[in-house]
Amino acid sequence: MDARLRRVNKEITDCKNDKTSQIKIELVDESPFHLKGSFPGPEGTPYEGGKFEVDIVIPESYPFQPVKMKFITKLYHPNVSSASGAICLDILKDAWSPVLTLKSTLISLQSLLCSPEPNDPQDAEVAKHYMTSKQSFEETAAYWTHIYAGGPPPKGSGGAANDEVAIAGLDKAQVDRFEALGFQRSKVVDVLRRLNYRGANIAKISDDVVVEKLLMA
Amino acid sequence: MSSDYEYSDDDAEYYDDDEEMIDGTQEEGDDSDDDVDMDTFGDDFKVSTKGKKKSYEVDYDSLSQQQVEKLMQKDVDHICGIFGVDVSTAGLLLRHMKWNKEKLIEKYMDNPDSVAVAAGVTIPEARPAPPSRSNSQAAAAAANQPSRRPLTRGSKLLSLASGSKSSSSKSPTTPQRAPPISRTSSWKRTQDEPFVCQICFNDAPNLQPLALDCEHAFCSDCWKDYLTAKIMEEGEHSVRCMAEDCALVLPDPFIRELLVPAMDAPAPTTKEAKAAEAQGLKTWSHFQELLVRHFVACNAHLKFCPYPSCTNTVSCPSAASKSSLTTVVPTVSCGARGIGGEEMSQSQHGPGLQGKEHKFCFGCPIESDHRPVVCNVAKMWLRKCRDDSETANWIKSNTKECSQCQSTIEKNGGCNHMTCKKCKHEFCWVCMGPWSEHGTAWYSCNRYDEKTGVDARDAQSKSRASLERYLHYYNRWANHEQSAKLSVELYAKTEKKMEEMQITSSLTWIEVQFMKKAVEEVEKCRMTLKWTYAMAYYLASGNHKELFEDNQRDLEKAVEDLSELLESPLEAENIPNLRAQVTNKTVYVQKRNEIVLEDTANGFLEGRWHWNTPVEGFDDDDNEA
Ligand SMILES: [Zn+2]
Ligand SMILES: [Zn+2]
Ligand SMILES: [Zn+2]
Ligand SMILES: [Zn+2]
Ligand SMILES: [Zn+2]
Ligand SMILES: [Zn+2]
Repeated sequence: MDARLRRVNKEITDCKNDKTSQIKIELVDESPFHLKGSFPGPEGTPYEGGKFEVDIVIPESYPFQPVKMKFITKLYHPNVSSASGAICLDILKDAWSPVLTLKSTLISLQSLLCSPEPNDPQDAEVAKHYMTSKQSFEETAAYWTHIYAGGPPPKGSGGAANDEVAIAGLDKAQVDRFEALGFQRSKVVDVLRRLNYRGANIAKISDDVVVEKLLMA
Repeated sequence: MSSDYEYSDDDAEYYDDDEEMIDGTQEEGDDSDDDVDMDTFGDDFKVSTKGKKKSYEVDYDSLSQQQVEKLMQKDVDHICGIFGVDVSTAGLLLRHMKWNKEKLIEKYMDNPDSVAVAAGVTIPEARPAPPSRSNSQAAAAAANQPSRRPLTRGSKLLSLASGSKSSSSKSPTTPQRAPPISRTSSWKRTQDEPFVCQICFNDAPNLQPLALDCEHAFCSDCWKDYLTAKIMEEGEHSVRCMAEDCALVLPDPFIRELLVPAMDAPAPTTKEAKAAEAQGLKTWSHFQELLVRHFVACNAHLKFCPYPSCTNTVSCPSAASKSSLTTVVPTVSCGARGIGGEEMSQSQHGPGLQGKEHKFCFGCPIESDHRPVVCNVAKMWLRKCRDDSETANWIKSNTKECSQCQSTIEKNGGCNHMTCKKCKHEFCWVCMGPWSEHGTAWYSCNRYDEKTGVDARDAQSKSRASLERYLHYYNRWANHEQSAKLSVELYAKTEKKMEEMQITSSLTWIEVQFMKKAVEEVEKCRMTLKWTYAMAYYLASGNHKELFEDNQRDLEKAVEDLSELLESPLEAENIPNLRAQVTNKTVYVQKRNEIVLEDTANGFLEGRWHWNTPVEGFDDDDNEA
């Protein structure tokens, strides 16, 4: 039997048999080389309570070259693209070792959620947010976990009206203030998010600059 | 001397009126044809090998992969002698230090342990926490790795364990000169527990676990597949142990043993085994090439031949430094011919291109031969052409209108002497001026009249003048490039003519080769001419530039004359005459080309050329403000 197939089959079986593990691996279609992994968000993090799904593609020369993984579930994290789910993690690139398994790699992803590395970001805007205000970042990440990963509603979250603002991780009062100047709300959200208009940055960026960007947008 | 290529004063009709010699060039005696290199010809053509280096040539050596491997071996032996380590360790240390022997010796003398660890030769004494972001949780989940017992060893250097095969080394490149390699327990199978490879989960009882000193044991099939992926797919010359976070680098004998079957091994019988053996050998030989490529890349005086699937190297110490590239144009050749070691089919390429030598510039990847202009100026020119390509695009077009009757004329040969089919107007393709003016001594198609720019008053006409100035040079540059490309067609036409000649005249195959030689010469000279326009664009005006353009003009006129002759219709009764004319003009063209190349090269050596704009590598005060 093909060595790659034998190994992948064993990995899937082992994972199934491990009743204590929180990691799940399942088939997507007929092929054993295209899989879906999932794990719960780690406790004590803004991802707690969410279920995170990962798309897994096993390359021809697996396990001698790294498995390809990306998040299916949207999440707010400096090392994960908020748009595509692409992951920046060393073991998925040159630090890959053939002794690593699908399960161990998924565990590494889980632990990545505990310890973001904003200095080596995949999503620069999210990383900036993290660096500017960790508290605000965590609120946004928790909100994403709630709406995309089935997590609990964050404490003190408002109704549906501020969805857009909460997803962007912005201060509702600030968005309201610029909207009152006659700009479209979605435009305000877009510009403020790109300016990283959060925490200490609010005092650093003058209103003129914001208005100028709004006029250009 | 009765060669067709004998050159004498009787041939003066093919020379320009102005025969005065240009500064810095020495003309050979007129009765000598020695400087005409006719090595592609039969006995009819004297081959000259005076062994005298021309000023536009650089000294270089072409080295085969084996020769480069010998150079590597010399460094390795040197390190073995100094450090008292085995061949494989010395190789890993040198590769780690990018083959900088002095630096390696200095660092190693200072702290051998840290160098050996950094090079992946030994395991660090105290195992540090894994630097990988995948945390211990993941490492634990990475399944039961073989227990790592504390490492206590006397020698810091890896004593490479190797099977009985190592002595029967077949490799010509890594002879085992090291003292017999000691065998450690790491290669042996642990008796107490059955071995299960943690990568493929194979637990067959005959499985042979293999490990380095780190004792990360895996089955040989997994090692092989891993090596194939690393070497063939990722092109790595330094392959680490498969275990996570293990920094040991696989030594060559370890790799060799996995990929190359032992001398005493039975020949494979099944189809799969045969294929596996072939794959192993292929991977091993690619690994050897990667090592050589790495060594070459680490040495400034060496360059790997850029031609596909060629493994030769050129050594050119005189072009190793950046500063040397302001005085020489290091056009070199690796010594091989053709592509992929196979002759190309005639339908794909012109016969002239068949088995073409692997010529390239040692100093830049711009073009294989951009003589006479130095790399930095050629680079500047190409950048300018790319930036201004839109404005200049129209010129590249292959059709133009006759200046007299406005009918469309298409160019399909390399010759610039155009005759309108409709009105018979004869004109120059490049400047669109009447051809009659080009046939005389006051041919000046190559020279841009700087006055147009000087007279310009306002900004708009100044910028128009500067564009026109650029277009003047670009136009001619692009035209020669185009013509040289069209020479593929010219080759085909010429071949036909050569066949015809053999039928209609009494000339033999060897006697009609003069046509082919002429076409080759025209193509070569057009490349020279092409780059002279890049050079002239940046040359500061003055005497030197004028002399340069005189030489350029003489070459250009000679090339156009010959080009036209080659495209003229063939008439049986004219063949002997044509042969004499083509032969004479070929010699003349060759001579003019020599003059341009020699004089320009001498100018670079003398620092005679000054630029109208700052050029990297040249002193600013050398340039006009
Ligand atoms: Zn190891
Ligand atoms: Zn294995
Ligand atoms: Zn070559
Ligand atoms: Zn060059
Ligand atoms: Zn016409
Ligand atoms: Zn002209």
